[in-house]
Amino acid sequence: MASIEEKVKQIIVDKLGVDESEVTADASFQNDLGADSLDTVELIMEFEKEFDISIPDEQAENIQTVGQAVTYLESSVDK
Amino acid sequence: MSSQLLAGKRGVIFGALDDQSIAWQVAEVCAEMGATFTLTNAPVALRFGTLNELGEKLNAEIIPADATSVEDLENLFQRSEEILGGKLDFVLHAIGMSLNVRKGKSYTDIKHEWMLKTFDISAISFHKMCQVLYQGDHMAEWGSILGLSYIAAQRTFPDYSEMAESKALLESFARSFGYHFGEKNKVRVNTISQSPTMTTAGKGVKGFDEFFGYADKMSPLGNATARACGEYCASLFSDHTRYVTMQNLYHDGGFSNMGMNPKLVG
Repeated sequence: MASIEEKVKQIIVDKLGVDESEVTADASFQNDLGADSLDTVELIMEFEKEFDISIPDEQAENIQTVGQAVTYLESSVDK
Repeated sequence: MSSQLLAGKRGVIFGALDDQSIAWQVAEVCAEMGATFTLTNAPVALRFGTLNELGEKLNAEIIPADATSVEDLENLFQRSEEILGGKLDFVLHAIGMSLNVRKGKSYTDIKHEWMLKTFDISAISFHKMCQVLYQGDHMAEWGSILGLSYIAAQRTFPDYSEMAESKALLESFARSFGYHFGEKNKVRVNTISQSPTMTTAGKGVKGFDEFFGYADKMSPLGNATARACGEYCASLFSDHTRYVTMQNLYHDGGFSNMGMNPKLVG
């Protein structure tokens, strides 16, 4: 089964149409991966759907990079 | 400019994101004029924007719907009829989105899979909406359906990119459905070609500020505001405009018929 990190990266590749090699832990959705503010909301909603969780807006605002998304989801998703 | 022009009228308003949105202003005006309605937008737009505030303020129910999904549209109109207590007198479609514009793709380097999505969201959704309203018999006699367009459907505004074709398609759908709906039960279908407006979507277009200023100077009356557009929409939802159908109506302070304005070269 794919790890959370792998799933997160796949969602980002699909949603933002970027190359997998660009999706590094430090990569910022908006500064490095060409996302606009609407894309970041779409990403958050995709994560919620994929992992069947709800991410409060206050938390979502802190998820700006690939690494932050992985860390947040690893701590929130039931394993 | 408040009157009860729309007293007793029921409607559905698509596409309000935040208080800058044209649809938001339309909703405010319609409420002031005595209409009741439901509000709708895509789930991601609801999360991104502040439509909940408007719903609370105007006591209007919000029904999330993806306008490209026939199933969502069927649910939306069925529930709206139940909530409002009868068939619909008016519907506003104020929906547009282009990934190519958002991502800064130039017109000569368009990603065509995104273009299909643009057409689906910005124009084909209008046909889907009309078809669901038509087949479900949701519109009351002499009802009024409006879509929001832009003059780039007729003339070239390079930075508007593929949204130009979206609007051309939208206007054409409105004309064609105007025939079918008129014959069915005298429902009218029109598009409004509005001045550039400082909305969240508008500001996403490259060079929008300069262009807004240009259009404002070119138009003898200046750019029409979102609020003024709301008032115009209300007049087209009212019983005073019952024989206006299959039209693309300019609401642009005169811009569309200007050749040059000395203000721009002086």
